[in-house]
Amino acid sequence: MARHRRRFGVYALEQSAPFIGFLASGAVLTFIIMALGENPGKAFQGIFKFSVSDPAKLAALLSISIPYYLSGLSIVIAFRAGVFNIGNEGQYFIGGMVGAIAGVYFPLPPVLHIPVVVIFAMLGGALWALVPAVLKAVRGISEVITTIMFNNIALALVNFLVNGPLSGLQKGTSLEPQMKKLLPSAVFGKLNGFFRAIGWNVPNYVYLDYSLIVAIVMGVVIWFLLFRTRQGFEIRAVGTSIDVSRYAGIQVSRVQIGAFMLSGAIAGLIGLQEIFAIRGFYTYNLASGLGFDGIAISLIAKNSPVGIIFSSALFAFLKQAGYGLQLFSKVPNSVTYAIQGIMILFIVAINEILIRAARSLRKKEVG
Amino acid sequence: MSEALLEMREITKSFPGVTANDHVSLDLQAGEILALVGENGAGKTTLMKILYGLHKPDSGWIAVRGTRVGIRGPRDAIHRGIGMVHQHFMLFPPFTVLENIILGEESQTAGVLATARQSKQISALMEENKLVVDLTARVEDLSVGIQQRVEILKILFRGATILVFDEPTAVLTPQEVVELFRTFRAMKAQGRGIIFITHKLDEVLEIADRITVIRQGKMVETMDRVGATKPRIASLMVGKPVLLEVERPPAAFGPVVLEVKDLVVRSSRGYDAVNGLSLTVRAGEIYGIAGVEGNGQSELVRAIAESADVVSGEVLLEGKNIISESVRERREGGIAHIPEDRQKYGLLLPFSVAQNLTLGMHYRPPFVTRLSIINGRAIRESAQEIIKTFDIRTPSEETPANALSGGNQQKAVVAREMSANPKLLVAAQPTRGVDIGATEFIHRQLVKARSEGKAVLLVSADLDELLALSDRIGIIFKGKIIKEIVHDEAVKEEVGLYMTGEKANGAA
Repeated sequence: MARHRRRFGVYALEQSAPFIGFLASGAVLTFIIMALGENPGKAFQGIFKFSVSDPAKLAALLSISIPYYLSGLSIVIAFRAGVFNIGNEGQYFIGGMVGAIAGVYFPLPPVLHIPVVVIFAMLGGALWALVPAVLKAVRGISEVITTIMFNNIALALVNFLVNGPLSGLQKGTSLEPQMKKLLPSAVFGKLNGFFRAIGWNVPNYVYLDYSLIVAIVMGVVIWFLLFRTRQGFEIRAVGTSIDVSRYAGIQVSRVQIGAFMLSGAIAGLIGLQEIFAIRGFYTYNLASGLGFDGIAISLIAKNSPVGIIFSSALFAFLKQAGYGLQLFSKVPNSVTYAIQGIMILFIVAINEILIRAARSLRKKEVG
Repeated sequence: MSEALLEMREITKSFPGVTANDHVSLDLQAGEILALVGENGAGKTTLMKILYGLHKPDSGWIAVRGTRVGIRGPRDAIHRGIGMVHQHFMLFPPFTVLENIILGEESQTAGVLATARQSKQISALMEENKLVVDLTARVEDLSVGIQQRVEILKILFRGATILVFDEPTAVLTPQEVVELFRTFRAMKAQGRGIIFITHKLDEVLEIADRITVIRQGKMVETMDRVGATKPRIASLMVGKPVLLEVERPPAAFGPVVLEVKDLVVRSSRGYDAVNGLSLTVRAGEIYGIAGVEGNGQSELVRAIAESADVVSGEVLLEGKNIISESVRERREGGIAHIPEDRQKYGLLLPFSVAQNLTLGMHYRPPFVTRLSIINGRAIRESAQEIIKTFDIRTPSEETPANALSGGNQQKAVVAREMSANPKLLVAAQPTRGVDIGATEFIHRQLVKARSEGKAVLLVSADLDELLALSDRIGIIFKGKIIKEIVHDEAVKEEVGLYMTGEKANGAA
């Protein structure tokens, strides 16, 4: 019994880095606010008001965390396999476009159309990961370089296509370069009504749409794949040690290519909410940077498909907190970005320390 | 009694939960060789790290030449005349010997290296200590034995009078050991003191003046060499009587399981490391490969058990050429492989013991269902059985492998490969860095495999091990088997001469 309690204690210690990091960066923020001559109480009140003060704000947090979650999930897979996919930024621009092509040009009934656009978005993302994956697995070329290059190529490509062959600019619409409007059957419906029915008052301006379902399904599927299937075991084995994996007869390059493309496929879904629920058309002016955020989100959560639920919520919170801080105090926007960086740094560093402490405690138990 | 060169008194050091050193004392006289023996995890390394300033003791003190000192780090240790030759050399391979020795102590004239005086100084050291090395050679071109000399020169150059050697003979040929011991004696004659850590009791009895045995962090006994015997030291180390020689039942050879024909393998550095090698291993036979490291052993093992860049020749497993097969196909064909570097290749350390014990078979029933979903229960049950059969000490099969002691990690790898019930077991350096108790275990497993009619290919740098276990020994030199010796005719010194290529006439 005592041993059991102890083991739980060690586990809790191992998992507590995000909380300590969160509190520590809160302390840093307080310090900065005071240095700027602001009232920390007022500033924190602003943060609170804009992030978690009522059910509507919470719903907004959930909505914002959907693309963050998908981005984190795509990185989780790559990191678990030991590949550094910096390319999910490009993969979601391409994936979104391929999904939008299916949404614009395939006349299908809604029951089919929604799954088809999801699948196409995944295919687009996966294909965009294919070349870096093969170069990495077969020729050993650093995926960090190739995926960054592919990000640039992706942006140039969607720019060209949306302005050229796929242009959907029509009289009477805005002049923002865009593809044709999605067919109504491909537009993601909202779940707000459902949430109101179960007692959560989600206002209409918050987007809780089908992309939430996509994120949940993908989270469960990826979790199951990683921890309950042989393929997932091999992904984790390769990510832990290529040498051991090769020795044990695992085909390392095949696993890496597979994980890389799966990472790309999930990345292809990051833009779904914005394209299919919020805008209703594809443009290359999608919110950018979500792909890179996924790296931090996955890192904070120790590459856990469950953990990124919390770290993507944290990112959503930071985003809203930033707005709150700007509106209710004179703290400049740059400070909120700095705090984000500081928080990630804290969490990652504290995590390393705690893991080491936990390991030596475990050794003691075993020894 | 003269003042001791070094005294360590009542040293205690505990890490969370373990007491690595529990009131350990030792002393070293000038001109003395003290052997420090004990099993892995007995606390030898911790004690030496304390001496070298890498750990701070919780209590106890150290005195050098009668003066109590607090050693704050390696720099401080060197300053006080304490030098250490580690198992893994700390050399810069692309630099020359001279550059490696003077690194950090370069003398300069107007900002330009002035090496002439220093190289003269080093030459004198080489002479005194019988450590001849070409100062202009690049370290990467030198054999392991010569690199070790460079390490020794490095610490002598810094004025060490107390020299600690951490398993220095593990990587040497018998001839090189002889030369190392000559150096030991020369250093001893100059009044230097040597602490010699080793697992090999023959060497202890040959060279040491006194022997300190530690077990589980406590000093068990310090004795004079005169009157010490191998069984006595071994039983003090382990805490119970030890069987030093594994009993080998009479051989019953079956058909040829492994046949290697005119094999040529290109190494990763681009030359033919295995160069026209042929051998056969029969069922029920242990075939030992003896040789100085870097003569193609690793490449041969890879060509058989993994996949290597085979230029020509064949590797036949029960008559079927396997050189183009994948690792998985080879494993399914009946090859098991205890890898040379088990830390690097053997275990997925963060994964559970159970998962590690099924690794390599993890992809097939019963460990996965037909839809390749992991069957956790089958994995645990299989693991429990292996843990019991092979006596692996672990709190449970769910414990991560990195929580096991080094010896138990080794056992886990051996147990897994044995439990795959192979036709051919390839064991590469299976007891390197393994203590007496675990060595006994591994030797028994190899002999058991032989009795069960498996073919065993044993690659080892430890000649005693090869002589004790092998039915035949093939001596590998520059990628070829240059001599094959049958068990009963094998003489250690002769094998040693073949290993260095000095006696390469009777090619196999």
